Amino acid sequence: MSIYIRAIGNISIQDTLGKSSLEQAIAYAEPHVRCIEPDFKSYLNPMMMRRMSRIIKRAVVSSMVCLQEGGIEQPEAIISGTGLGCIEDTEKFLSAIIDNNEKFLQPTYFIQSTHNTISSQIAIFLKCHSYNNTYTHRGISFETALMDAFVLFKTCRIHTALVGGHDEMTPLYFVQLQKLHFWKEQVHNSLTICTGSDSQTAGALAGEGSICFLMSDEENDRNYAEIKDMQLFYNIKGSEALLQQIEQFLNRNNLNSSDIDVFLCGNSGDCLTDPLYHEIHRKQFAHSTYASYKNLCGEFFTAPAFGLWSAASILKNGKIPDIQRLNNVQTTKIRHLLLFNHYKNKNYSLILLSSCGY
Amino acid sequence: MDELILQLKNEIINVLNLEGVTPDDIADDAPLFGEGLGLDSIDALELIVLMEKNWGIKLENPNQGREIFASVKSMATYIEAHKK
Repeated sequence: MSIYIRAIGNISIQDTLGKSSLEQAIAYAEPHVRCIEPDFKSYLNPMMMRRMSRIIKRAVVSSMVCLQEGGIEQPEAIISGTGLGCIEDTEKFLSAIIDNNEKFLQPTYFIQSTHNTISSQIAIFLKCHSYNNTYTHRGISFETALMDAFVLFKTCRIHTALVGGHDEMTPLYFVQLQKLHFWKEQVHNSLTICTGSDSQTAGALAGEGSICFLMSDEENDRNYAEIKDMQLFYNIKGSEALLQQIEQFLNRNNLNSSDIDVFLCGNSGDCLTDPLYHEIHRKQFAHSTYASYKNLCGEFFTAPAFGLWSAASILKNGKIPDIQRLNNVQTTKIRHLLLFNHYKNKNYSLILLSSCGY
Repeated sequence: MDELILQLKNEIINVLNLEGVTPDDIADDAPLFGEGLGLDSIDALELIVLMEKNWGIKLENPNQGREIFASVKSMATYIEAHKK
């Protein structure tokens, strides 16, 4: 069974909602950037909206846009990944406990603070009674959700699925992670964060996003790309072992590294974590176009969902935006793209995509 | 009393996250639950917390709720009589 990306809804720090490619990349010169939000009132009833935390509004709207593009009202599965879930309302609830000396706790913030209810809230909104699940697995949350869908498709249990990655980066959480040196002190130009002077410093640009994909096993002219295979790895000792794993992954798909036209990686401009991408590229994919996506979306737990949007967009449009290129290798026809991300050099994900028809 | 009603309306809008609703949209005598604003049981809990937090009034008897929360005016009347 083949798995295709049929439609996408993408709310990010770029102007991406309802668009299949990036028309004009927006540059930021600050280390923390929030999403460009749509006017939620034009999608949601105000009385319904007041019981939705910000991340749920984003998730529901990106799902609506995605399903509308795909022409499907009820997917056979709704599967989401989120690093932190509804952290904004969790913060409000916990802050109220402290500020009010454990009194006057507001039930709405408590209800909305649950981290693992994104898929179920989308399902309630859509009145969809099929399977739903939300994975909260830090840096591989989205990939775990995608893996769940992948297995369901491959075992012929579903024919359509809505798969998403959703995370918000609140000011408070940004500050907490800043203390752990997750973020850059200064960002001069987010678009060149992986190549310019910003790439010489530690830390990343903090971003956020809500990205949904409608997956289908049906061939269709409107499909963006085919997801051929995916794999997650944990705690691989040394880059040589990782290179070996990647080669084995490609081989099981009857490919080798020379077949990969585009090597799209999770470079975040962090001089401490990007060298692994450079090394894998140099040793295994030097002939491929080397590209990044986190210079567009920033770093967050489910940023690989934006990577999958970028990969699907590249394969559908047959071209790589110049702002994402990390080398000068030109490809006349893009057939196979390998999306690679690592989280803290402990969790690794590989997603192999092909243009439709290959 | 009018000042208290206006303040109460603003507090209700704020605590219940009634986006796009202004104090003028809420009639003093309009029912808060069912018709009118169409609030539900979770809103009732929010209003109980509001009464205690903002006005120092703790509702001990749940049976009183229906009467107190009938409208903004009835809430204001109760607050006026019991505020600390």
